[in-house]
Amino acid sequence: MSALPLDAAANTDLDAGRPGRPGRPGRRLPYFLRRPGGVFGATWLAFVVLASLTAPWWVPYGVAEQDLSNRLALPSADHWLGTDPLGRDLLSRIFSAGAEPLLAAGITVLVAFGIGLTMALIAAERGPRVERVSSRLAEVLLALPSTILLLAVIGAIGVRIFIVMAVLGVMISAGVYRVMLGVAKSVRQRLYVDAARVNGLSSLRVNLVHVLPSMGTVVAVQAAQLYGIGLLIVAGLAFLGFGPAEPQPSWGFMIQDASSYVFSNPWLLVPTGVVLALTVVAANELADAIASRGSVARTTVRRRRSPARVGATGSADPRPADPGAVLDVRDLHISVDDGPALVTGVSFALQPGRVLGLVGESGCGKTMTARSLMGLLPDGVSVSGGSIRWQGRELVGVSEKDLSAVRGRDIAMISQEPMVALDPMFSVAYQLTQPIRRFRGVGRGEARQIAAQLLRQVGIVDGERVLKSYPHQLSGGMAQRVCIALALTGEPRLLIADEPTTALDVTVQAEILSLLRALVRDTGLSVVIVSHDLGVVADICDDVAVMYAGTVVEDGTAAAVLDEPAHPYTQALLAANPHVADGEPVPTRLASIDGTVPPPGEWPTGCRFASRCLFAQEQCTQRFPSVPAHGSGSVLCTRVEELSRADVTWMSAPTTGPAGHETAPATAQPAPTVGVSR
Amino acid sequence: MLAYVARRLAMAVGTVLAAVLISFLLVHATDTSPGAVRLGPGGTPERIAAENEALGWNDPLHVQFFDYLGGFLQGDLGTSLVNGGSIAGDLADRVPVTAFIALFATILSGIVGVALGVTAAVRGGRVGQLITTGAGVALSLPVFWVGIILVYLLAIQAGLLPATGYVAFADDPAGWFRSLTLPVLALTIGGGAIIARTANAGMREALAQEHIRTLRAMGTPEWRVRYVHALRFASVPVVAVLGIQFIALFGGSVIIENLFALPGLGQAGQAAAASSDFPALVGVVVVATVVVVVINLLLDLVVAVLDPKVRTA
Repeated sequence: MSALPLDAAANTDLDAGRPGRPGRPGRRLPYFLRRPGGVFGATWLAFVVLASLTAPWWVPYGVAEQDLSNRLALPSADHWLGTDPLGRDLLSRIFSAGAEPLLAAGITVLVAFGIGLTMALIAAERGPRVERVSSRLAEVLLALPSTILLLAVIGAIGVRIFIVMAVLGVMISAGVYRVMLGVAKSVRQRLYVDAARVNGLSSLRVNLVHVLPSMGTVVAVQAAQLYGIGLLIVAGLAFLGFGPAEPQPSWGFMIQDASSYVFSNPWLLVPTGVVLALTVVAANELADAIASRGSVARTTVRRRRSPARVGATGSADPRPADPGAVLDVRDLHISVDDGPALVTGVSFALQPGRVLGLVGESGCGKTMTARSLMGLLPDGVSVSGGSIRWQGRELVGVSEKDLSAVRGRDIAMISQEPMVALDPMFSVAYQLTQPIRRFRGVGRGEARQIAAQLLRQVGIVDGERVLKSYPHQLSGGMAQRVCIALALTGEPRLLIADEPTTALDVTVQAEILSLLRALVRDTGLSVVIVSHDLGVVADICDDVAVMYAGTVVEDGTAAAVLDEPAHPYTQALLAANPHVADGEPVPTRLASIDGTVPPPGEWPTGCRFASRCLFAQEQCTQRFPSVPAHGSGSVLCTRVEELSRADVTWMSAPTTGPAGHETAPATAQPAPTVGVSR
Repeated sequence: MLAYVARRLAMAVGTVLAAVLISFLLVHATDTSPGAVRLGPGGTPERIAAENEALGWNDPLHVQFFDYLGGFLQGDLGTSLVNGGSIAGDLADRVPVTAFIALFATILSGIVGVALGVTAAVRGGRVGQLITTGAGVALSLPVFWVGIILVYLLAIQAGLLPATGYVAFADDPAGWFRSLTLPVLALTIGGGAIIARTANAGMREALAQEHIRTLRAMGTPEWRVRYVHALRFASVPVVAVLGIQFIALFGGSVIIENLFALPGLGQAGQAAAASSDFPALVGVVVVATVVVVVINLLLDLVVAVLDPKVRTA
């Protein structure tokens, strides 16, 4: 009976209730029957239920039929599972005893869900006031020792097992309520539920048609687990003597009986115990298999510690090595292990004290490129070719230990979401002083002074208060300043900033950008900034590399690339940019780029932008090299000279322009996405 | 923090009151009566009626309830219908037995479960698979069956420990410890499995957090990332489940006490249920609830220490 409700596995998968991906055609089995645990669970449960309910018609002996000459027998042809101390057939008794616990546990589940699920739906519907009352009630019920309360029920009304198990269902309903309330609340927040309500569906119908079905998985998982718990409790009560009276068999009492013979006849323990245990294991395995939906990807969280798959390879880049660069990335390839490439042939170099922007739409490999610079690619993704040289040292293929020595000390990173980038369990002071002590080898007191000074450097006035705070007490802009201070603890030479302002308010964005600019000016830091916002790039970057579908299509100084964009994609991005220079008229509509970035693995040969490009021609589907442009930069477009001679640009092209989409014909393509805008 | 403690205290008092009320109502739902129980099969209807009158059974329910509550606040739980002894006195001797079993089992479940669950999350692969599958099976095994198998293996075959029976701490501390070892182990197999699953899920979730990536990007040593930061994050759900486990183990000890012949609260509950000794039944429920509530209050304080969001709220 130790396995009481609210097992962790039940709580791990609140997401499992989301409507699953559509099953692949040609597979008729439900997903949970494709896992061995699910197959075993469903098969064994079906077998036990069927065998127990039909027992009167097939068991070889009556439950009270004694064979006194054959007592405590081991399995034989006559008695497949042996006999008990009175010579009764164990097989017959086990399956004759099955119906009661199997039904009684079912009653517990029904009652528990009847109350718990209904209450959860009502509380989710009626809002916080009802919820507060019912949640308090549930908390009280959960805190009661339910097994002992069941004894009180038995003392009062006798061994009426179905009623007793229904009472257990009432007590367990508190646990069901708690889990289901969480799920119901998250389901109700989904848009289509709101839409249904706005459309005037009655609350009962909203619940029945929209909310309940998407809770199905969680309900099934919980029900299967509760069923197992119910079985254990029925058997446990019977073990204590609160079960059917002899000679009627019960699983629990048969085990109690066996315990008296454990010295002389241990076999007696085996058949009943194994059937009971297997049945409960089956219920739990079924629950796990059902819960596995949506969590498949999480089965391999293992952190890959082996060095990247491929060491540095010879550069295919035609440009000579840049001796002055702190960071020199050459022909970088990143791919999913045993899967498609995510980034191919990316090269760029960064001079000390300069800011490089990586720009492009979502899904172009900007973040992957940035993370590869520190060896922090997600599990299952690795650098598959090329080289990353940091101050002349190769970073591709080196050990995790060597990378650790670079991280924080030489290269630091600030992330997109400052609110979750800090550890919620530790104070700001701890999170800053800990790396300060490690990097600078100072004591606790001095580390705290340095931390306060760093906070001043990132523009925090009341540093002492912030040091004492926990992350949840900070605002987004404040948290990002703390993150920047954290990144500065190791006095790095390079800062990688992945969309550092995206999650922040517009006014705060400007403050953070000017802070970064001041840091570059004051400390000579180099920065790689990842952004989809050309405004940010124009604001802060010295150099820019425009990425499209995993490769750099144009790079050069920010001034050159933004003023005279050569690649049609860069031109399109600029045309779609809502930032308007002073003195120019605000366009009535912004141009958008038809179509979407092709996903990795579906990139065409030749130009990857061709399918969306206004100027695409036959020659664009062939392979071609990049050509030098913007001084030290390059452009990856085979028609670039042709277009430049003809002086056509994206803005002046016939089918688009400032008012392009008013005339653009409706096509079968997916809805146009605004490429670069906020 | 103060508001949090006050809220938890109010919940604790509410829970104990609810236990008194529920068990009180349950007992009054019976179709027999305390007079009949006290007099046994020999009681005539007249004598039973007189006995019930004397016990106050015919008073209005709320009068009886507040009488009981008044007694409870002064430590008086009434007298047994079966042997006339003081229930409070009897249970006072029994509480430590059950409390120690449940407490040791909870602590051991916590240690074993966290070790296994964290290993499964950190190692992953085959080892992780083995641990999670093993835990799935272990938490499904009936505790009484596991108990008997442990008796067979450790007491009968290996002869390491006494099979059943209880030795008072005052008589022989070592013997006391040995007499509790098997019951605690039996409870720990299922309890540890549940904690292992909680710790595994919590640790995986923790390691997938954004702030863990920040720490790695700062070159933080991997042991510190895992065992200081991720483990601290995973500890909050683990402590919450430990509280629920204590309740479950406290209830589960009824069966374990029966199996190992230990004079605990559960055994008293079983006897009272079998003989319909109503005041004893109510007493057992109320005392069990008080113990469970006190332990959970302590765990709430642990959560507050661990989780700054709770502490600073």
